[in-house]
Amino acid sequence: MLEDVRTRWHPIAATDDLPLRHVFHGQLLGREFAVWRADDGYVNVWENRCLHRGVRLSIGINDGRELKCQYHGWRYSNRTAGCTYIPAHPADAPARTITNRSFQAVERYGLVWSSEDPRGDLPVVEGIGEDDLLVLRAIPVNASAELVAQRLQSYRFQPNSEIAGTGTNIELVAATEAAVALRSCQGRAETLGVFFVQPVDSGRSVIRGVLSGRPNDAQLTAVLRYHNEALSKLREDLEREAAALPVPVPIEPIFERVSEELASLPELDSRGRKAAIRVQVARKWQTADGIMAFELRPIRGLLPTFQPGAHIDVHLPNGLVRQYSLTNGPGETDRFTIGVKLDPASRGGSQCLHDSVREGDVLAISEPRNNFPLRRDALKTIFVAGGIGVTPLLAMAQTLNNQSLAYELHYFAQNEQQLAFSECRQALGNAVMPHLGLSPSDTVNELRRLLSPYLPDTQLYICGPNPMLESTRSLAAEAGWPEAAVHFEYFKNTNVIDDSSSFEVALARSCLTIKVGAGQSILEAMRDAGVDLPSSCEQGACGTCLATVIEGEPDHQDVYLSPSERASGTKIMTCVSRSKSARLVIDA
Amino acid sequence: MAKTRCLDPVVLNLWHPLGALVELPVDTVVDTVLLEERLSLAVGLGREVAVWRSCPDFVAGDKIDVASVSKSLPAKVAFGYLWASLGSPPDELFPIPEYEETDRRRLNAATFGVNVSAPRAIENFLDMGHFPYVHTDILGVEPHTEVKEYDVDISVERDEILATRCRFFQPLASSASETGAEVEYIFRVPHPYCSVLYKSSPVNDARYDVIAVFMQPLSQESVRAHMMLCILDEDNEDKVIKRFQQTIFGQDKPILENQFPKRLPLDPRAETPIRADKSAIAYRRWLSQKDVRYGVIPASY
Amino acid sequence: MIKLYDYELSGNCYKLRLLMSILGVDYKTVPVDFYPGREHKSEWFLKLNPLGQLPVVDDDGLVLRDAQAILVYLAAKYDAAGTWYPRDNPELLGEISQWLAFADGITSTASAARLHDALFYDFDINTARAGAHRLFRILDEHLWFGERQERQWICSAKQPTIADIACFPYIMLSEEGGISRQDYPAIRRWCDRIKRINGFIVMSGVFPAGPAKAA
Ligand SMILES: N[C@@H](CCC(=O)N[C@@H](CS)C(=O)NCC(=O)O)C(=O)O
Ligand code: FES
Ligand SMILES: [Fe+2]
Repeated sequence: MLEDVRTRWHPIAATDDLPLRHVFHGQLLGREFAVWRADDGYVNVWENRCLHRGVRLSIGINDGRELKCQYHGWRYSNRTAGCTYIPAHPADAPARTITNRSFQAVERYGLVWSSEDPRGDLPVVEGIGEDDLLVLRAIPVNASAELVAQRLQSYRFQPNSEIAGTGTNIELVAATEAAVALRSCQGRAETLGVFFVQPVDSGRSVIRGVLSGRPNDAQLTAVLRYHNEALSKLREDLEREAAALPVPVPIEPIFERVSEELASLPELDSRGRKAAIRVQVARKWQTADGIMAFELRPIRGLLPTFQPGAHIDVHLPNGLVRQYSLTNGPGETDRFTIGVKLDPASRGGSQCLHDSVREGDVLAISEPRNNFPLRRDALKTIFVAGGIGVTPLLAMAQTLNNQSLAYELHYFAQNEQQLAFSECRQALGNAVMPHLGLSPSDTVNELRRLLSPYLPDTQLYICGPNPMLESTRSLAAEAGWPEAAVHFEYFKNTNVIDDSSSFEVALARSCLTIKVGAGQSILEAMRDAGVDLPSSCEQGACGTCLATVIEGEPDHQDVYLSPSERASGTKIMTCVSRSKSARLVIDA
Repeated sequence: MAKTRCLDPVVLNLWHPLGALVELPVDTVVDTVLLEERLSLAVGLGREVAVWRSCPDFVAGDKIDVASVSKSLPAKVAFGYLWASLGSPPDELFPIPEYEETDRRRLNAATFGVNVSAPRAIENFLDMGHFPYVHTDILGVEPHTEVKEYDVDISVERDEILATRCRFFQPLASSASETGAEVEYIFRVPHPYCSVLYKSSPVNDARYDVIAVFMQPLSQESVRAHMMLCILDEDNEDKVIKRFQQTIFGQDKPILENQFPKRLPLDPRAETPIRADKSAIAYRRWLSQKDVRYGVIPASY
Repeated sequence: MIKLYDYELSGNCYKLRLLMSILGVDYKTVPVDFYPGREHKSEWFLKLNPLGQLPVVDDDGLVLRDAQAILVYLAAKYDAAGTWYPRDNPELLGEISQWLAFADGITSTASAARLHDALFYDFDINTARAGAHRLFRILDEHLWFGERQERQWICSAKQPTIADIACFPYIMLSEEGGISRQDYPAIRRWCDRIKRINGFIVMSGVFPAGPAKAA
């Protein structure tokens, strides 16, 4: 019986219950919901329980894009319900799979509908037009849905235009345990009233009435008041009746357990270069000289949760795989937006996207991966972008902007026409500062000015062409920036990789020793041995194939690790780096 | 032994706090509840105590000679509170050596009723990550949200959880500092329903203020939380010190009462821990190992 | 300067802290050990307020008790714009007084339930809770119809009045007395609106709201 009820759609709120920046507290069959509308209009129906320590999310904060838990400030994204930030560990990117349980939501008849496990479509109500109806004030009743639905059958009301009259003729059009439809006729006046009964818990329900026909403004309030009064009267009777019955045991909702891996918080385990997601190019436009923007929308379902700084692998029709940073702000989960600069020296990646890929085309992409995580615990954050390097920094800037955290985005380019994503920059206002047409030496002077003096609790994020990145890093070091406060992402590794050595790698967790020969990477050798590791750029720039070194001396050839990470000898990028010692033990 | 509602022998055999001695009227019957059991208690002028299952012979407010109570449950006084047990408690309660230091201010900041299980409340007490969000501008402030690496041990000789090297950025670290500073904490959980924290003292670098919470379980999902302060402070009036502590606890209360389920789930997959929750993970494991069942949802396998 | 005899966890004292913060009025607090010390029943305090209740305000020698009375005084005296208690609008003053009395009803029900659960007062908890729910139903209905008539606040003025301040605290704290607000969505939205008033401050047990969407 309960099973049957659980698979049905029920109204859980009125559309008007969800103004922007509010969290509605709902409940269905004992299960509580936090229901909130994002600024983009999307209605989120979530389990009312933070995955971290079980605090109700209905007391959290809807910032328009994300819902923030009151206890430890974890942030969950619009649509995906994935956790995007854990403030206690500002330097980490939370595992994407920390995803709150969410339920489907449909807005119809002025109500928000949901279900624990919906089978089939929302019921269609004959005689109620989507644009010509009146939603009554919901009446919560301390009585079982069954009893309420029964007693509603004898509800009496006048048609909308005749509420002052009496003696109407009432016809019972339909009655189920979930709704009662009544038609009230008097002369030529006629109103259909459908009264849905939301089963809140075993002994609690909400009557959600919808009338056919929207009265004119003069009568509107009178009709609403009329029903409010009559239904309140019905409630009184119902509650008196229910109070005489034995108190039903509340329904205990069953909470899903979190996945095994989350319980112990290991690393991510998406392996290899998988292109798990199909997207459609919904929009392609020239956003700056030589830069095309692509808006990718899911073919089916939702896109996965992403964090600022994340990139995706795009698998191109010509077989190439390229990495692009997402430029989306928080909560923009209906699409991924990337910017692609035409590289004259292109090996065919940007060329293909610019020339061959069109709106409507389907592409395969990987899950977003974040190897360039954004801290949000700085008093101020400085972003330095060179050219197309602006893309991850735009995502980051929007994030800080959304949380009212202080930042500056310095955007270096040759001229105005080369500045990409103007809409997004405009929304960020004065915090975005273009620096145009500077010579290399003027650029250095400008950067030196921007980076000094170093102030504590400031973080620096740099993304741009390699020479600019290198000089910004050294200028920051000169100005006294600690290495830990300087974050960077290279587009590519321009080092010439020396893969002439051969050595042995012991994989500690897999209890396997493999030989890495000249011309072969550790990553390739591992895959040959059946041990998979996630990877993305495969040229030592993106950080995805990172492994922990337990023993031996790595021969670093990547551009991802910082000098101190390199010096520590505990990390290695397995796609390009090798071993100086004859044997290397890694945790894999 | 009379029938009890709590069937957890581990919890029945513990000492439980019932009230602050200074707040109890002398030679007078006072009623309370422990583990869903109605109890009565009385304190004599010489701090002699008696606790018994409530009976119609003595009702709250009656005058009574403590020595005349024949069927007292195990009862004792420690840290300024009256403790009792419904089972066979150990001789000694856990120690708080600092309580004996004579230059300290020792007081009950308050006893508050909270609709939550005792273990949820203890876990909240061990948690630093919520400071900027729940105790904004007092114990923490955004954007300083990081919980730095700390150490957790289960001390073998004492059978208690010990979290050390805990540090957190605090805006009002002391009345003397204006910029905020990192404050150091040590947390102890020497009893399933009690916790003691040590916090660097603003008036003496070398010593710690001691703050303890002792949970009196009324039922599986409700407690009386007793807050003991044992601190170095020569300037402030008692009521100012209490006000500070009550403000803090008042901020935690709505969080605790909005946690779901109210009993602490011991299944490691019931909720999602992060590194900052190391001490909570240790606490949940420790409760599991002790086979505590009251106020928790035991892991089912 | 105004002296507020104050207890941090008292919703009635919070009403005054809240209004004074919104109006930008300077004041200092005199902490009263309401719990566990029962200082409001001490000899010195009874001289100030023979009812033995918080809050009490002393403004340059003018000693006033009762939160609602003090709200009237503070708004009438210190609100330069005159919107919180519009002295020259009899209809509105009538409405405000009506809801101030309602707020006192919330104190004797919702606050009583909280005192029972949190501070072990010997009240009949079921009566207190039922009484609070009865009032919340009335207020939710009033606010729901208000939203349909573009009335955002309790009284029919464009701006909030002291009636809103008087009703807010013990509604926000009701869950501490075991009174859920789940069935009162219009009240929950109104609480968000109050939290977004310029100068709003919290007390222990009340969380702030996030920013409203910029227009
Ligand atoms: N009508 C009074 C009621 C004040 C009231 O109930 N105050 C509480 C503290 S919040 C109190 O002092 N109660 C003690 C008592 O009534 O004995 C007002 O609004 O100020
Ligand atoms: S319980 Fe929600 S963030 Fe910790
Ligand atoms: Fe806390």
